[in-house]
Amino acid sequence: MTAKFTLFFVAVFAGAVWWGWEWPYIAKLMPVYVAAIPGLVLSVIQLIGEASGSEVSRAKRAEGIEMDDTYKAGVDKKTEMRRTLTYFAWFIGGAAGIWLLGIVITLPLLVFLYMLVEGREKLIPSVIMAACTYGMIWGLFEYTLEMRWPPGLLFGY
Amino acid sequence: MEISLIDAAIKGFMNILHLKVFLAMCVGVSIGTFTAVAPQGLGMPLVYAIMLPVVIKWEPVTGIALLIGASSVSAICAAYLPVLFGIPGGSGSQATVLDGYPMGKRGEAKRALGASFMAGGMGCLIGTFTLAAAIPAAKPLIYLMGSPELFVVVLWGLSMVAVLAGRRPLKGLIAAAFGLLLATVGQQEQSGIMRFVFDQPYLLDGISVSIIALALFGIPAALDLALMRLGVEQQPAPLTGKLFDGVKDTIREWWLVVRCSFIGVWVGIVPGIGSQVVDWFAYGHAAQSCKGGAATFGTGDVRGVIAPESANDAKDGGDLVTTLLLGFPQGVVTALFIVALLAWGYLPGPEMIKKNPEVIYSVVWIQGISGIVGTLIGFGLSTQLAKLAQVRYSVMVPIIFIFVLMGAFSVTRDPADLLAVVGFGILGYLMRRFGYPRPAMILGLVLGSLMERYLYRSMASYGFTWLARPAVMVLLILAGTSFFFAVRGRMKSAARNDDDS
Repeated sequence: MTAKFTLFFVAVFAGAVWWGWEWPYIAKLMPVYVAAIPGLVLSVIQLIGEASGSEVSRAKRAEGIEMDDTYKAGVDKKTEMRRTLTYFAWFIGGAAGIWLLGIVITLPLLVFLYMLVEGREKLIPSVIMAACTYGMIWGLFEYTLEMRWPPGLLFGY
Repeated sequence: MEISLIDAAIKGFMNILHLKVFLAMCVGVSIGTFTAVAPQGLGMPLVYAIMLPVVIKWEPVTGIALLIGASSVSAICAAYLPVLFGIPGGSGSQATVLDGYPMGKRGEAKRALGASFMAGGMGCLIGTFTLAAAIPAAKPLIYLMGSPELFVVVLWGLSMVAVLAGRRPLKGLIAAAFGLLLATVGQQEQSGIMRFVFDQPYLLDGISVSIIALALFGIPAALDLALMRLGVEQQPAPLTGKLFDGVKDTIREWWLVVRCSFIGVWVGIVPGIGSQVVDWFAYGHAAQSCKGGAATFGTGDVRGVIAPESANDAKDGGDLVTTLLLGFPQGVVTALFIVALLAWGYLPGPEMIKKNPEVIYSVVWIQGISGIVGTLIGFGLSTQLAKLAQVRYSVMVPIIFIFVLMGAFSVTRDPADLLAVVGFGILGYLMRRFGYPRPAMILGLVLGSLMERYLYRSMASYGFTWLARPAVMVLLILAGTSFFFAVRGRMKSAARNDDDS
């Protein structure tokens, strides 16, 4: 699976080199020569290392500082997969809801439903949080700051 | 016309003597405190990404007050999660878990928190004084730097990604190259040529750094909470003991605070070390140098809380030295701060020291004052803040959803923003899952535009002869040497581990 993700970078860098190759020198200096070509070389080396298995054993042996926090699920694989998919379903549903219904309706609704259904919170705290969200989005942004949010596709975006 | 540094320091102070600046700083401090205390989801990179689209429309000093106010205190109150739950409150407070949690479990949570507030506040002030002292010291050197030298400095910073990427240096460099590539999307400033736009008007101005940072950090962070079900499946240690005992401990160990604060400043200044290690450096130093430390550290020794917390707070001052004086960031937060400065029309580095030194001093003043206010908040509201640390995931996750979706959608209010935030959210999850460091990508993204600007100016002014400038050659040798030694050290450690196994 890691190799497949590395393949994504190989494809992106290769595509960037292909697209940018015909550009004038000054335009392709950064994207092609500084970013894409070195990126392509590095990701191909990484891909070969992962495909041959040498990268995994080297990473296990090596020491060093980790720049980013390392991924630790802390739950069994099945639960992790189920919770991850559920989480992304909520998030993508929220984004789709904003596109269809608008942010003023979607975000309070998302908060209410997530707390009630996924978080198994009681009705009253869920309603209070949703009301606070509505108050912030409508009251603060739309009413006080006069920052108009688009209405959503179903309401004539 | 250039003004003297003393005048700039006075003017910088006068700039912040406005009610709205002070209020913005207080709001920033409150946000930073909440961020530090709240369960893992809200890290400072995410908070900066949320605030960026809003503050760049404000007056610069007011926006700076909000951003610096938030980041300067984020480490002061970061000990709640380590002490109460035994989990890191964010990068820089991981080592605090080792002694903070045992103290919490044996009923000394308040003592540990008191020590962390006091050590954090002292560390923040030491970092701020170092930043203030660095400006006059660095000014003569900085005047020698032109675009070619700055290009090499930025390149040096980026090369250090390989060191920062821990056990997977190649992945760090790939992520940085990907960030550099993303930075070139849109119309090129210098030539007007469209790059990677694919006839999409949305991509004309490039992809917003705010959206990418929000998605990369917000989505995986909230996923952590949803996976661990914090506050439901994990319960906190009791909030008992006395805050003042921790204060007395810290005052008694003042020399440890000073030493660890300077370790923090050093980590902040040196390119390529980063916040992930500052607490471990300080903790390691304290464990080796404190009397009886080898036996008591890890079992609930208050010095094991004081050391990492003071270093973690002092590091921000060191970070700002390179960010403001050289124009390259040491991490995601300072990278996003540079994005804000650029949006306000300031070019961090020598140009800012020459043209806007008073703004740099405003940052110094805000950093110091926020540290004091943050420490006082920590002491005054410790019990109330502890309740925030116990907020359940079922409340935190939707709050993060709100800020990520609203923050992303507020950039241009285009439905494509939503597509971008979902896409980069999934990318952020996959990067974290497969060990590609997200900070490297953000560094590449932010430094990409600066690098291209300096490279373009260098090529336009000197052709390839800029490579023969003495300062460029010295900097290239320094960058090459530090990179070589870092990579050699890593290869040696791998070989040593091979022999051991």
